Amino acid sequence: MKLPRRRVVKAAVAAGLVAAGGVVAVVRTRGYEAPGRALVAVSPWQYAVLQHVARRFCAPDRDGVPDADAIDVAGFCDRWIAEMSPVTRKDLLGLLGYVEHVLPVTCGLGRRFTALPVEAQDRALSALERSSVDLLRGGFQGLKALIFLGYYRDPRTWSIAGYDGPLVRRPARGWWP
Amino acid sequence: MTVTRGRDVAGALRLDVDAVVVGTGAGGAAMLRELARAGLSCAALEEGGHHAPVDFTQREDEMFPLLFQEGGGRATSDLAIRVLQGRGVGGSTVHNTNLCKRTPPEILDLWARRHHVTGMGVRDLEPAFRTIEQDLSVSQIPDGQVNPNNEALRRGATALGWKNAALSHNRVGCQASGFCELGCAYDAKQNAVKVLIPQAVAAGARVFSDAKVDRVTTSNGRATGVAGHLLDDRGRPKAALDVRAKVVVLSASAVGSAWLARRSGLPDPHAQAGRSLRMHPGAVVAGRFRDPVHGHKGIPQSWECTEWLSFEEGSPRRTWIVPAFAHPIGTASTLPGFGRDHMARMRDYNRLAVLTAMLHDETSGVVEAEDTRPVLHYRMIEDDRAALARGLVACARILFAAGAIEVTFPAIPPVTVRSARELDALDTSFVRPHGTPLSAVHPMGTLRMGDDPRTSVVSSRGEHHQVKGLFVADGSLFPTSLGGPPQISIYAFALHLAKHVIASARG
Repeated sequence: MKLPRRRVVKAAVAAGLVAAGGVVAVVRTRGYEAPGRALVAVSPWQYAVLQHVARRFCAPDRDGVPDADAIDVAGFCDRWIAEMSPVTRKDLLGLLGYVEHVLPVTCGLGRRFTALPVEAQDRALSALERSSVDLLRGGFQGLKALIFLGYYRDPRTWSIAGYDGPLVRRPARGWWP
Repeated sequence: MTVTRGRDVAGALRLDVDAVVVGTGAGGAAMLRELARAGLSCAALEEGGHHAPVDFTQREDEMFPLLFQEGGGRATSDLAIRVLQGRGVGGSTVHNTNLCKRTPPEILDLWARRHHVTGMGVRDLEPAFRTIEQDLSVSQIPDGQVNPNNEALRRGATALGWKNAALSHNRVGCQASGFCELGCAYDAKQNAVKVLIPQAVAAGARVFSDAKVDRVTTSNGRATGVAGHLLDDRGRPKAALDVRAKVVVLSASAVGSAWLARRSGLPDPHAQAGRSLRMHPGAVVAGRFRDPVHGHKGIPQSWECTEWLSFEEGSPRRTWIVPAFAHPIGTASTLPGFGRDHMARMRDYNRLAVLTAMLHDETSGVVEAEDTRPVLHYRMIEDDRAALARGLVACARILFAAGAIEVTFPAIPPVTVRSARELDALDTSFVRPHGTPLSAVHPMGTLRMGDDPRTSVVSSRGEHHQVKGLFVADGSLFPTSLGGPPQISIYAFALHLAKHVIASARG
């Protein structure tokens, strides 16, 4: 998946300063619960954003489907981000800052993303998906790809698609029409 | 062991050889074999790792970082087009779907007429194509091995009276697992790493993985070698790499070779290096069927529709239509939206047939060298956008003709149509960068060939116009888009140009 480049960060930061009046830097690290695990690439507030976005992206459509927390999507993302190039990592973390602090403001929502009710989070993410700023749309697609990589990598989710998984470690004969 | 892993080399690596080849994909492997068989001392340097079939677990999350540049996350600078390129010994031949089509005669003719390319006509290249097709056991996919997704393309195109045909692949002993794009666990791909690299090594070539080249060295207008560093098992620089050579061959792809040329500050008086990037950008259309299709199972891309593919410059019909199916992660990333609606769409996974329209593009992009990695700039021109939109609508018509009950364009927001008649009035303005997910797997044309130094970077012999002893043998050479899968052209061009490299090395 492509994760956003520097210009996403610049756009995010610029928009943030205008829209949020510079509040971002002051409040962005306060009021977050410790995740209860060791993080390797992201900070606790960034982990919280990943966790909330993952919950919305992977919201189950019926009972019995594992949710993003059960699959530990945010934890996977933390480990994946650790292996990214420094430039890509910086861009992605910049996007998380945008989602948390700027996106709600641009949508007329008064609180940071992780403090919003789920309906408002969905509204904010939809707005990001359809942003008039192309780079932000690209950033959304990158974030979506990362989250779904974390979710659909897990065999517990494969039944959603009726996917029967890899053939290796099963009898060598493959599938023929 | 035929490949030395850079991560296992103690200390710096310093070599003095006749020829060094940068990259081990189709072009690099073919060139390396020819140079070694000619008796030259030669080495190939590959920035990625060396992987065996046992490493290919058929899992997307494990194979993306192993086989693709930037973990599968490479994209254009505006993030509009995802660019999938191979990384590792064998390059993109490890993850591709084995499509083998010769360079269209119309394209070779265009290059001769408009781009001052000489000695690359159909007859000139015939021996190289014949050789590589034999070497790689290229053959047409038999009727009985066409899977339902490809069968839908055949059925729909035939019903519409549109040109369609079986494709040829380089596979032997195929298990039809459908996991080709994640590397073949059954070693059935007759590709660069399985066929050509071992032959090159048997002829005396040395091959190093985890060896990243940062610059081409020159002296008095002649290439003298390359410099870079060996990488550790996490891809971090661990020791110096310094290769002195009489000739240098860039085969690191249209992105990697252009990046290297620009980063090395090679003379470029007409500002041609890195320009004219073409990519065959494409998008997908998904048809939902009543009965299961199981598009991910069986041999991918065994059938094509060429009704909408003209090689005439400026033609409104410039898309090549083939099936395109992904495993769950790739599918989830492409399907529109998120949340419950998205998951509901995922439940149709096995009832989807997916087609892609791949654009024979005329947009001219640029590869720039930014610090340690390439940056791809590509702004699709309106004619290309419109041609792509026509191709996608054609895909939808094929799917309906094949029996789809509903067709979805994964646009933002998604566009779903329920009959072919609805397509007549469809507003296709959503087909644009950032309006629909676009991807590209065929970067080409950034160090293009031609005998006029004002409009090309290398001659028709593949040698750099300004730097003697520096050659190119990969998709960078193509002066325009090919309009079809490039691998067999890249292999053949390398074989065809090898004689010039050998002559240069022998001085």
